[in-house]
Amino acid sequence: MNRFVALLAAACFSPSVFAAEPIRIGLMAPLTGSWASEGQEMKRAVELLAAGVNARGGLLGRPVELVVEDDGGDPRTAALAAQKLASRRVAGVVGTYGSSATEAAQGIFDEAGIVQIANASTAVRLTGKGLSLFFRTCPRDDQQGRYAVGVLAATGAKRVAIVHDNTSYAKGLAEQARAGLAAAGLTLAAFETVTPGERDTTTVLTKLKAAKPDLVFFSGYYPEAGLLLRQKREMGWNVPFLGGDANNNPDLVKVAGKAAAEGFLCLSPLLPQDLEGPEARAFLAEYRSKYGAVPGSIWGVLAGDAFRVLVKAVEAAKSTEGARIASALKGSVKDFPGLSGKISFDGRGDRVGDVYRVYRVDAAGAFVLRK
Amino acid sequence: MEELLQQVTNGLAIGGVYALVALGYTMVYGVLRLINFAHGELFTLGAYLGFTFLTSAALGPRLGTGWGLLLLALLVAGLVAVSGALLERAAYRPLREAPRLSAVVSALGASIFLQNALMLGWGARFQVYPDEALPTSAVTLGGTRVPVVRLAVILVSLALMAALWLFVNRTKLGTAIRAVALDRDAARLCGIDVDQVVRAVFLVGPALGGVAGLMVGLTYGQIGFTMGWSYGMKAFTAAILGGIGNVPGAMLGGFLLGLAESLGSAYVSSAWKDAIAFVVLIVVLLVRPTGILGERVAEKA
Amino acid sequence: MTRGLVATAAAVVFALAMTAAPFVLSTYWVDVLDSVGIYALLALSLNLILGEAGLYDMGHAAFFAVGAYTTAILTTRLGVPLLLTLPAAALAAGLFAALVALPVLRLRGDYLLIVTVGVGEIVRIALVNDVGSLTGGANGIFGIPRPFLFGLKLRTPEQLFPLIWGAVALTILVFHRLSASRFGRQLRAVREDEVAAEGSGVNTARARLTVFVLGSAWAGMAGTLFAAKMTVVSPESFGFWESVLVFTMVLLGGAGSIPGVLLGAFLVAGLPELFRGLASARMLVFGLALMVMMVVRPGGLWPRRARGAS
Repeated sequence: MNRFVALLAAACFSPSVFAAEPIRIGLMAPLTGSWASEGQEMKRAVELLAAGVNARGGLLGRPVELVVEDDGGDPRTAALAAQKLASRRVAGVVGTYGSSATEAAQGIFDEAGIVQIANASTAVRLTGKGLSLFFRTCPRDDQQGRYAVGVLAATGAKRVAIVHDNTSYAKGLAEQARAGLAAAGLTLAAFETVTPGERDTTTVLTKLKAAKPDLVFFSGYYPEAGLLLRQKREMGWNVPFLGGDANNNPDLVKVAGKAAAEGFLCLSPLLPQDLEGPEARAFLAEYRSKYGAVPGSIWGVLAGDAFRVLVKAVEAAKSTEGARIASALKGSVKDFPGLSGKISFDGRGDRVGDVYRVYRVDAAGAFVLRK
Repeated sequence: MEELLQQVTNGLAIGGVYALVALGYTMVYGVLRLINFAHGELFTLGAYLGFTFLTSAALGPRLGTGWGLLLLALLVAGLVAVSGALLERAAYRPLREAPRLSAVVSALGASIFLQNALMLGWGARFQVYPDEALPTSAVTLGGTRVPVVRLAVILVSLALMAALWLFVNRTKLGTAIRAVALDRDAARLCGIDVDQVVRAVFLVGPALGGVAGLMVGLTYGQIGFTMGWSYGMKAFTAAILGGIGNVPGAMLGGFLLGLAESLGSAYVSSAWKDAIAFVVLIVVLLVRPTGILGERVAEKA
Repeated sequence: MTRGLVATAAAVVFALAMTAAPFVLSTYWVDVLDSVGIYALLALSLNLILGEAGLYDMGHAAFFAVGAYTTAILTTRLGVPLLLTLPAAALAAGLFAALVALPVLRLRGDYLLIVTVGVGEIVRIALVNDVGSLTGGANGIFGIPRPFLFGLKLRTPEQLFPLIWGAVALTILVFHRLSASRFGRQLRAVREDEVAAEGSGVNTARARLTVFVLGSAWAGMAGTLFAAKMTVVSPESFGFWESVLVFTMVLLGGAGSIPGVLLGAFLVAGLPELFRGLASARMLVFGLALMVMMVVRPGGLWPRRARGAS
């Protein structure tokens, strides 16, 4: 009966679907600046999915219009981008990548009554402020910090060196890991910093080598990780490296070279190629046919998930009002079949469940999931 | 002790790149008194052109080794030189008689423009030189392995500095360059074609920057469209440290800055590395307000 | 005479337009104007140093940062009402400027420029490294309370607008008077010919120090307003790039010219927002626009009457 009504409704309304006023959905992403490549992948994933929604007749019988704003990866630009999205009266916002950009934007969305679902902003405090309209499809840094310590202990290493890049994310993760070392019976051999964007890491490597660690944990991003691995090999130093979840990018292997990258361990949510389920397979096939390759990093896929779960919540709430969408996200949206696995949110807007895995780079330069 | 030796080698290798970039910076500055902020982006352009040639199916295999590399360097230098000359024509020549700082703003605009043009042209993801093009051999110095390419950077920068010094001091065009650097109006009165001198400087300076970009690509593999900004800033600092406008000064400044960074990072704190480099700069300038070799600022190009 | 009339007319039109702005523009554009206003404060204060006195200062963001962090620390740790931190921000930034100036102001031209760049970087790195466990490291400080004015909590861009642009108006008045004063004439004398200025009895060292401290203290107060607007301060907001933007505003508009500097702030802070439609190409077009504007009007778009910067 229900289905009949739905069919009837579709039959009545479908000719006029695109005459209806569109539902605007915002995407905030770093399209310029240092993280432009991540931002552009987010845009690709979400554009593809939005086109799919429209091809299937839209959302609540209305077409979806994507409004994309560049946050440049910095807080000031992010605040303006957020204000711009708010003034376009978007029903919800997907993004963004950097935690500090999200920090500057989330208050603005909250005051405007707009739901925001971040895809890569992992800083703990973002969900600790009691903002009822904020969600994220990515995990949190403290989860990763605890997980990292467990992995470190399991490798059998005794002396661990930690390297970060002084960004808010990497330093936070490094400190989370450092705090957990003693309880896991590990000693800290060194705690060092590399500078993002600089290509020479030999100074830090030389210093690390003198501290004689059994293993190095790097909490920064993949460009520097690749350089560290390559230059470590050039120095003739064989120490295993474990990287945080900003290293799960195939470009890491490109930078390091296959020989130097082999054996690199990396924490990550499931990578695009390991995603399971019909939704993920269909999405990856479509993505490949449109852009010629599968997404390089998981963060673009998580932006896609943010978009899909937002669409689902608008459908469930039958409304574009922020508070209703938020209560749908916290209530009826349970175990939503996302691209990256099942999605549910807790009362703070954090994603429920354990998402971290360990990957190892094999001799062919591929990230292989360790079972 | 071994670690110290290693850190000194690291510092010299880092400094070699700064010195190479600083040479082009200081050359342009000496003649035009212009801080060419876009020099960093010309450096990046050199790195990207090298990447494109090495990855092209037709040219890559032939340019990747031995004499091919020399040819590649010349090719990159030539193309970046032409870009530099075009930049001068479009963004700086109209401002040559204008207030000095106007050209600085134009240079900043050019830098932003070029950086984003590189992003749109080659993509926002960084590119990586093909593995087979990267030299892998290493020598053992004081108990540690040092890749040959790092020594090459130091040697190439020394050789280019020597060549540049000879060019400026021993050729007719070089003499004209020095004359213009000293006093543009007087040089014009003596019949020197100032436009020609400036053109020459804007061919040589960017060419050096382009070669530096190529060397960075060959040393580190990874190149990105934003890298010119930080290398450019470091090179400018190096040029000032040595006494801007002075060719041996740029060289000295580059090596000193590299050493300050590596030793500061090793024995003070890696988190304060760049701050240490700037503190060194400030201290040097307090003692010698025009840089280490700065008093000859007007004589050399 | 006619030029004076034009300028007065322009000022009146501008003031009227700005008064009407929050009532007719969308919230987003009002927010852009708030952002422009804070940059205008920074540019006007740098104009004293760079435009009037001819000191090449490319590290203005350092003093902006000191002010913003002073406000952030006082409001979040001690619960001081935000607007009451203005004098403290000015004092902290001014004292820091005096400390920097003692060794640094002896340098000239491009040497001064690179050293101020260095000071800016040192401050940013110090903030990242969480000096004295006060600055929150790379995360910065968040949860800065909104300001209250006459019992009203200023939260939205429309509510912040009168505060920010009121401060800009006040700054214009004060700096206009300052420029016309004996001290203003002394500064220009120092800029044009230091030896001659010294010869005619100007204490050039003191004039340079005074203007540097004054301009920096003003940037510190702009930092307070920035903290009020953003409610979060972090080191990224005070990098080299911010100093470059403010430097560009002064020169693009016309060093030493108050309407020129205002125009520069509008263009440099506003154009990237206007170009948002161009997505990935917006900064490309912005760079091109900077070059073209400078080539077309080398002395600045609205230079001061006598002559532009030296």
